[in-house]
Amino acid sequence: MGDFSVTLNRKPRYVIEDRCTGCTTCVEYCPVEYPDQFNQEISENKAVHIFFAQAIPLIAYIDESCLYLKEKKCRICENVCKADAIDLGQKAQKMEIKVAAIVLATGYDTYDPSLKNEYGYGRMTNVVTSMDFERLLCATGPYEGEILRASDRKHPHKIAWIQCVGSRRVTPGDNSYCSAVCCSYTQKQVILTKDHDADAKLTVFHNDIRSYGKDFERYYQRAEELSDVRFIRSYTTVAREDPETKNVFVRYATANDGVKEEEFDMVVLSVGLNPPADYQGLADKFGIELTEHGFCLASTTNPIGTTRPGVYVCGAFQGPMDIPESVFTASGAGTQCGELLDYRRGGLTRERVYPAEKDVSQEKPRIGVFVCHCGSNIGRVVDVPNTVDYALSLPNVVYAQEQLFSCATNSAKEITDTIKEKGLNRVVVAACSPRTLEPLFRDTLREAGLNQYYYDMANIREHCSWCHSKEKEESTRKAQDIIRMSVARAGHLKPLQEMDLPVNKAALVVGGGLAGMTSALSMANQGHEVHLVEKENDLGGMARRLHYTLDGLDVQEYLDRLVRQVYRHPAIHVYTNAEIVEATGYVGNFVTKLTSDRGPSEIKHGATIVAVGVDVYKPTEYLYGQDERVLTHLELEERISSGDEAVTGAQTLVMIQCVGCRNTDRNYCSRVCCSESIKNALKLKEINPEMDVYILFRDIRTYGMLEDYYREASAEDVKFIRYEPENPPQVEATEEEGRPVLQVSLMDYVLGMELAIGADIVTLAAAVIPREDNKDISQLFKVSLGPDDFFKEAHVKLRPVDFATDGVYLCGTAHYPKHIPEAINQAYGAAGRALTLLSNDIVTVSGSVCEVDEARCMGCEACGRACSYGAIEFRKTKQGKKAVVNPVLCKGDGLCNAKCPTGAIYLKHFTDEELLSQIDAMSATA
Amino acid sequence: MCSGRVDLEFVLRALANGMDGVFIGGCRLGECNYVTHGNYHALNMALLCKKIMAHIGLNPERLRIEFMSAGEGNLFTEVVDNFTKQVRGLGPLGKGEGEDLEPEALQERLREVTKLIPYIKLIMNAKLSQRLSPGEYEDYYTTEEIDALFSEVASYFIDPEKCQACQICLRRCPVEAIEGGKNRIHVIDQDKCIKCGTCFEACPPRFGAVTKISGGPVPPPIPEADRALERKGKGAEA
Amino acid sequence: METETAQLLKIPADGNYGDVMVLGGGVSGIQASLDLATAGYKVYLVEKSPAIGGHMSQLDKTYPTNDCSM
Repeated sequence: MGDFSVTLNRKPRYVIEDRCTGCTTCVEYCPVEYPDQFNQEISENKAVHIFFAQAIPLIAYIDESCLYLKEKKCRICENVCKADAIDLGQKAQKMEIKVAAIVLATGYDTYDPSLKNEYGYGRMTNVVTSMDFERLLCATGPYEGEILRASDRKHPHKIAWIQCVGSRRVTPGDNSYCSAVCCSYTQKQVILTKDHDADAKLTVFHNDIRSYGKDFERYYQRAEELSDVRFIRSYTTVAREDPETKNVFVRYATANDGVKEEEFDMVVLSVGLNPPADYQGLADKFGIELTEHGFCLASTTNPIGTTRPGVYVCGAFQGPMDIPESVFTASGAGTQCGELLDYRRGGLTRERVYPAEKDVSQEKPRIGVFVCHCGSNIGRVVDVPNTVDYALSLPNVVYAQEQLFSCATNSAKEITDTIKEKGLNRVVVAACSPRTLEPLFRDTLREAGLNQYYYDMANIREHCSWCHSKEKEESTRKAQDIIRMSVARAGHLKPLQEMDLPVNKAALVVGGGLAGMTSALSMANQGHEVHLVEKENDLGGMARRLHYTLDGLDVQEYLDRLVRQVYRHPAIHVYTNAEIVEATGYVGNFVTKLTSDRGPSEIKHGATIVAVGVDVYKPTEYLYGQDERVLTHLELEERISSGDEAVTGAQTLVMIQCVGCRNTDRNYCSRVCCSESIKNALKLKEINPEMDVYILFRDIRTYGMLEDYYREASAEDVKFIRYEPENPPQVEATEEEGRPVLQVSLMDYVLGMELAIGADIVTLAAAVIPREDNKDISQLFKVSLGPDDFFKEAHVKLRPVDFATDGVYLCGTAHYPKHIPEAINQAYGAAGRALTLLSNDIVTVSGSVCEVDEARCMGCEACGRACSYGAIEFRKTKQGKKAVVNPVLCKGDGLCNAKCPTGAIYLKHFTDEELLSQIDAMSATA
Repeated sequence: MCSGRVDLEFVLRALANGMDGVFIGGCRLGECNYVTHGNYHALNMALLCKKIMAHIGLNPERLRIEFMSAGEGNLFTEVVDNFTKQVRGLGPLGKGEGEDLEPEALQERLREVTKLIPYIKLIMNAKLSQRLSPGEYEDYYTTEEIDALFSEVASYFIDPEKCQACQICLRRCPVEAIEGGKNRIHVIDQDKCIKCGTCFEACPPRFGAVTKISGGPVPPPIPEADRALERKGKGAEA
Repeated sequence: METETAQLLKIPADGNYGDVMVLGGGVSGIQASLDLATAGYKVYLVEKSPAIGGHMSQLDKTYPTNDCSM
């Protein structure tokens, strides 16, 4: 631990990375066409190519189909490359790297359906996998976003999806687990296909619909409600292909209609997720253990830790998971590395040092224009020399030149030198999109001692040479128009300072449940003071009501251990019976006032983690509260663990799923209840094998590895009966042969008959619901709630534990219902994100934020209403109410500008003056 | 910067500069990567702008707003080609508008409307921030509403008989449109005035010197020479 | 992201010594690397294909918001 030596084999790229500018001239001239790996080999690419359009690094590489590498022929690319970046003599390089920790983020492989004859994949042209279909849908895909069949390049109109391909099956070569993502990605593909072709007729053949994630239930409804979309619950196989039309016949069986065969233009196989192909090799190399399925073995209480200290796992190598989980387990691996390596933080990195900034704000603009050829990307369409001459004719331009590649290291140096030599105080680079290279050129200005905001980028590649490559003269004129606009704006640019704010190193964690305590401990272990605030008398939260888990964790024992660790930790301060009174401040500098057992406190902290947990729905259905034999599943668990014989000795016990959610009041799935009920059913069967246990469900949502327990429960003779929401079970207290029972009656759709079960105990899978005080917490910390009143993260996929408000993070069930290992994963994730802030002494805020010209402000508050970030406050002055912007909270979207009647509020770097100057320059033909 | 930053003034300026069409591109509606959803603000602004264009006799088809993602290059090409073709079909600004507009008349109308932007933003503020659903776009701003907006434009006038030259309105005016000073009767420069009503609100009720004039003409300002304030009756009261 | 990019611009010390190696440059590996680098650790990110991005870069859009996956 703490001292790993890793030997890597660095494969040759045959392209010198520092020199390649990604201009793709070589790709054009390369004579070899080869199936494109990125596009699932549906279309072809060249032997030399960029992996995909937005690849990072955006440089070419040469694959094994290269003529030179195979037969020592060709070398055309070498000759056409103006940057001299091709090196066909490159050899694989052995590297030895010494590190103190390792994070395994190997991801997954998709299931290969060609291994099984029954799906026809590889044999039938118009059977594709869901990954193939992703590429077909994509604008950068093999047919530029047209969905076409491989057999005849025609649009398929009738498409079928087959779910659970390779998943939820115990046959050899298949995976017994559920792949956890296929239901929702198929719904996405259905929705997107309808966007492409509104008349498409789409069918999804599925087993349970597992819409267990945040907002998934609504997404499923959205897909299902589309016209000509059918979801059919059935067992399905691919029967045959029509030899003429290449259409595919699907055979499926439903309870009502028996076996049917139907013809489709295309069949998509919703393939599951496998562990990475070389999982055994990974395990051997890194000395870690695997699960029986080939995923990384970890514990319930730390799914990020492997069996080897210092080696961590995140993403789908933990097991099948969706993007947000992949993201927060990554942040979680980050914080766990930090717990190990905190003592050496910052030791191997160095800060960039820039020369002092010159004040040129009083000087008349002296603009320099650099026009890039981008190899031949711009140069062969736009007349660059002519454009340089043109630029020189523009007002305030004192210097202009052309460059082969402005982004090349030597060109950037040339710009820096020229700024100094010619005394430039504004720079325009006419090249590509600012999205990728603006940071580089701003840096170039800083190197020359100029404020980085004295820079403007004229995009004459994506916006010009690439889209009008046939019209050279017009393109040259347009390039000149674009440059004229940039020059006009550059003349108005102001120097802006990015504000450095100090960061208070302490953290506040709101909520002392499993998630809150886990986050608190991880941060405290890295030397940060943590204030842990709990509303109740004791720490523990909802986990206090859980006793055992499917994989055998003793929850109470674990919880007690955790609570002891928290209380013993010198850096953690616990506040119980706490109520937050006021929360003010901003990223790095929050102040929170509260009252608690410790009396009133005022806490200064740099980061906040919201981990307030959830509540449980109190049912009004199924005689709950009227008959004591009706319990919630949590009450059942308590009775089982206390050994209540009325429960454990019951003859018949019926569990009803989806009580209080997946309905109009709460249009979401509580995610945990299917597995919780199965857990209790297995426990009951273990204690009393004679008991008849029924689970009445709508869809069984034992996603991922939980599926194995569903199978186990079936094997233990737990009876699963599906009901439809419009025809729910009825519960009635009555007598059966003299025995008082709760009679549960419902329709059994498989048997096609009404059933009546005489139960001793009925338990209800009561919904997991947001806490009532979520609204107060959200207002205090200026964060938002989603449509179901759970806390709303900054981005559902990519920023799952951040809030849109900087410095505030989210974890646990406050985000959405989840299982213990998931909450722990996310708690580490939130700690990891908080540490990216707390590890630094300062936080930098953009210079492009709003400001108010007080004299022009009439106090109408229109700006305040347009701001989503609460960045604008109103202050009373002698001249009436005036808007004031908190630059730390402003995100620079500029919505307030468009609402302000008097132009009093202005977004720096995008002022009316700057933008109108561009509009004027656009129409001013030179 | 978000598409919601696009100001009514930007569009009108482009038209005044002789542009035959204006295209606004935003992210796909409902898919904001932040929490702002500012593209709905852009949509609202564009819908309002179209009605204003129609009001002054310009073909609203000359303004187009479309929403797409950065990955939809092909859609962008299609939309821009289509829009270019459409604008070309309409001909130069002032021509394909139903009635032919003389360049001077056109400029005059655009100037008038541009001057009223502060007033329009003020009156329409609540409506401009709504998040619309597809199907609501068409009639969100009605022609009657826009006609009324322009016919009800109020002007503000300071009654020289009542003005006490207290300088409250003068200091509060966000655009320095009020001339005057200590003991000099205040006068609103109607060219600078943005009709925000701040002076009307600010004038102490016991003076009630600022009046709101809807429809009718604004009386001429009192001559410079007569602006000295006579504090008549002050001594008598004391 | 801006502060994170700034952190990545820090020049690593010489030699093949690092704090952490991240194996795999998909969305999870990228996030782990960014977070660690931002927190002040020197990271080696190791990826077998010619570009980072992993499976997610191959997806057209993501559920349930249909956001672009790039």
